Amino acid sequence: MHIPRVNWLFFGIYTLITASILAAALLLPDFRANSVLAGAPLRDWLLDSALPAVLPKPDPVTISVLYSTEKDAWLQEVIQDFAAGDYAVDGHPIVVELEKMGSREIYLSVLDETRKPDIISPASFLQISILQDLSTSKFGKPLVNRADKPACQSVVTTPLVMVAWKERADVLWGTQPGSEMWQDLHNALTDPKGWSAYSHPEWGYVKFGQTDPLKSNSGFMAILLMTYSYFDKTSGLTSDDILSNPDFQKWFLEIQNAISQYESSTGPLMQKMVAFGPSTYDLVAVYEATAIEQAANAVGRYGELRVYYPPATILSDHPFCILNGDWVTPQKAQAAQIFINYLLSKPVQEKALLKYGFHPVDTSISLDQTGSPFLLYRDNGLRSDISGLPVVEVPDGNVLNTLQEFWSRNIKP
Amino acid sequence: MKTRLYPVLALLIVLSLLLTACQGGGISILDGKKVVVSITYGSEKKEWLEPLVAEFNAANHKNADGTTIVVEATPMGSIESVNAILSGESQPVVWSPASSIYIPVANSEWRKTHADDLITGTPNDLVLSPVVIAIWKPMAEALGWPSKALGWADIGGLAASPDGWSAYGYPEWGSFKFGHTHPAYSNSGIVSIIAEAYAGVEKQRDLTLADLSTEKAAAFMTSVESSVIHYGTSTGFFAERMFERGPSYLSAAVLYENLIVAQESKRLAGSSTQLPVVAIYPKEGTFWSNHPYVVLNAPWVTAEQKEAAATFQAFLLDRPQQLKALELGFRPADPSIPLTTPLDTAHGVDINQPQTVLEIPTAEVIDGVQNLWKQTKKVVDLVVVMDTSGSMGGEKISAARSSLMQFIQLLDDRDRLQVIVFNTKSIVLSDLTPVGEKREKLINRVSGIIEEGGTRLYDTTLEAYQALEQDGDPKHIRAMVVLTDGQDTESNTTFQDFMSQIDSSGTEAGLSIKMFTIAFGSDADKDILKQMAEATGGKQYDSDPKTITKIYGDIATFF
Repeated sequence: MHIPRVNWLFFGIYTLITASILAAALLLPDFRANSVLAGAPLRDWLLDSALPAVLPKPDPVTISVLYSTEKDAWLQEVIQDFAAGDYAVDGHPIVVELEKMGSREIYLSVLDETRKPDIISPASFLQISILQDLSTSKFGKPLVNRADKPACQSVVTTPLVMVAWKERADVLWGTQPGSEMWQDLHNALTDPKGWSAYSHPEWGYVKFGQTDPLKSNSGFMAILLMTYSYFDKTSGLTSDDILSNPDFQKWFLEIQNAISQYESSTGPLMQKMVAFGPSTYDLVAVYEATAIEQAANAVGRYGELRVYYPPATILSDHPFCILNGDWVTPQKAQAAQIFINYLLSKPVQEKALLKYGFHPVDTSISLDQTGSPFLLYRDNGLRSDISGLPVVEVPDGNVLNTLQEFWSRNIKP
Repeated sequence: MKTRLYPVLALLIVLSLLLTACQGGGISILDGKKVVVSITYGSEKKEWLEPLVAEFNAANHKNADGTTIVVEATPMGSIESVNAILSGESQPVVWSPASSIYIPVANSEWRKTHADDLITGTPNDLVLSPVVIAIWKPMAEALGWPSKALGWADIGGLAASPDGWSAYGYPEWGSFKFGHTHPAYSNSGIVSIIAEAYAGVEKQRDLTLADLSTEKAAAFMTSVESSVIHYGTSTGFFAERMFERGPSYLSAAVLYENLIVAQESKRLAGSSTQLPVVAIYPKEGTFWSNHPYVVLNAPWVTAEQKEAAATFQAFLLDRPQQLKALELGFRPADPSIPLTTPLDTAHGVDINQPQTVLEIPTAEVIDGVQNLWKQTKKVVDLVVVMDTSGSMGGEKISAARSSLMQFIQLLDDRDRLQVIVFNTKSIVLSDLTPVGEKREKLINRVSGIIEEGGTRLYDTTLEAYQALEQDGDPKHIRAMVVLTDGQDTESNTTFQDFMSQIDSSGTEAGLSIKMFTIAFGSDADKDILKQMAEATGGKQYDSDPKTITKIYGDIATFF
């Protein structure tokens, strides 16, 4: 049969156009995600089952997260499930790049622009507060806003606690520290007779451990609690309190000067407490979750290790905040919010509790459930309900800065 | 044409196969790229680290870019090694001393010529072991142990007692003989003298320069140091001496807990017949030997080496390696490993101890303690006996002269030194008088030594030994250094006569004259020199013109 040449031409053009439309539909993520076409069974089958194997993946949307070291193990674990899940923005799969660093380094690197992350997650809102303050002064607008929920919210929490060898804590403050805990500690640390003053010369001088407040959040939280406690309040701390009260300054520096060495990070401080035993630290200020992390290791070693709650505490509340930087495109912001929501999902929150000892922010999850460390280590002083424990207010960034400055001018670790 | 192509094709195939193999790291000749991580480490962990280095290297670990990591580790006294780094003599990638105590001093020295610290951040600990006083169990019991807690003050009391062990009802044990290593070379030496300073002023923290200038501090240190039989460069060597030679050599010494566990394991297995030994955890407090792994913040350390050093660190902190450390008597740095056997009373140790530590002083105060020690340390009465026979000609005599001159510089002003040279006859170049009053003159005199004649070894050495016994002060460390390059050709005394006269057994063996013998060159009779040294508790060295300065340096650590 003879087919006229012009028909071949039309057939060719038709095929080309059809093929182009099909390719565009399959290759361009926006086209793929187009809801107008959603529900077409052939399209769905092609996209879900048949084509992913043969077609290149659409460009991912990558978000970078700078986070503090304390939640490293939990994040590294849950990120695997996130990566394996089907999380996408407009068909672009979300890829999360994690980088850990100290909480202070996080906001400093954002401020000096050596890092431009989409999300930051320091150990607490203290650093968010400082960055909000400092970035407003530097750039004329805040890079974060601590009131800006859901873009900036706590994901898990853990309070600052005291961990001590029970035998020694019994002598220092009995079964529980009273409302004068920091004053009692001040007295013990500054008494030149050390433990001899408590009829235990064999324990030497009193050894309290905290981290370096310039390098680690828990040390910063510890000095903030001491400061609040001196002024006998839980809110309304001012820069003036810190700078204009010589009695406070003397009292505060006496405690700090009695600390022989400052660890630069909370995990290693707690590890040292367990590895070296009471010879090196009688008591340390660390996060409850850090204490839980070492609880199993401490069993049967050097004596009984216990968790004690200070008269007022502060939460390491692990905020995840999307930055208001111009590098955070709407698409990245959307992806970042999806990631934060994922961290707030029940299975991820439960993992934070059961495996890592954090308090989930999802209040429907019980701390007393089977397998919870709060149940397992109840006899070591862990409390599943701290609702009655006063929590101090996070002061403004400038007050926090004043406290850090005061410490750094007077103490050289 | 086609046939000519075959060999070329075959060659290409073989080459491509080889290159493919190299990609996988199979052939080191071709891929060859390696990164060397040099480590100087405190010799106390040699038994643990040496096999692990071999195991790590054999496993062909790599950096991310595929470069093979090669670890080269050298044991060295902790203080000695950092001094070598500070002087530029040694440039390792990693420094792992026995403890962190000297880090502030190292940083403060480094900062004199650099903008940054040499050691930054908080290094990870590899293994742990408390500093303890090792003492023979019956002696500890005589002091009231275990019901009574003992400490540095008890050591001071024993050292000050003129009657020694008689005061405790054990005259048969003679005087109290104590030992710690040299503080200028070894970590356990420096912690010993810091602990003595604390005990002298009855403090456990806040040691100040003002404390060090008190009468009490000096008196206590002088008293403890008076009971020291000699110093030494490495804690491991000290332990070996104590456990080989027994209670007549040393009653007690400052060691690490792991060394006691190792000795007790040996004794329980039947390979040591010594008395049991136990660890005293000083009641006033002690220090930990924590073996930090320091990747130096030095200009010679590359990013590639840092990456490789981190891989090796992770390997050492891995559970199997930490378990090996436990087997050898260390407390693992990994707290998830329980402190079980051999860390138990059967092995002379108590894991519930220590109860407290002493505060690590500032760099300035540590320097002050070292100065106080120099003033209070035991004086040495030393006789150098040097062969100047004809065979010493050329390079030998000039190296022997210059190394002796350097050695004289290492001695303290209060040390007394006699120099005797011998060939066919012996000549006293300088009498046994304090070095301070004759140092330059003596160095000049040594520079003029020439060689000639035969080798009158036994006669000269025996005469010197007997003279030192008579003229030396028994309250001083008494020692001889004998250097010779050949066989005895001139003496009336035979080797057997000689050995029978220098016998130093008995309860006071530790206080007898120590002989350090140097076999200089291949013609010297090493065996005879070894017997001479070992009979006295000294040490024999093999040397040549290239190593003689180092040998004299090692001998100096005993004083």
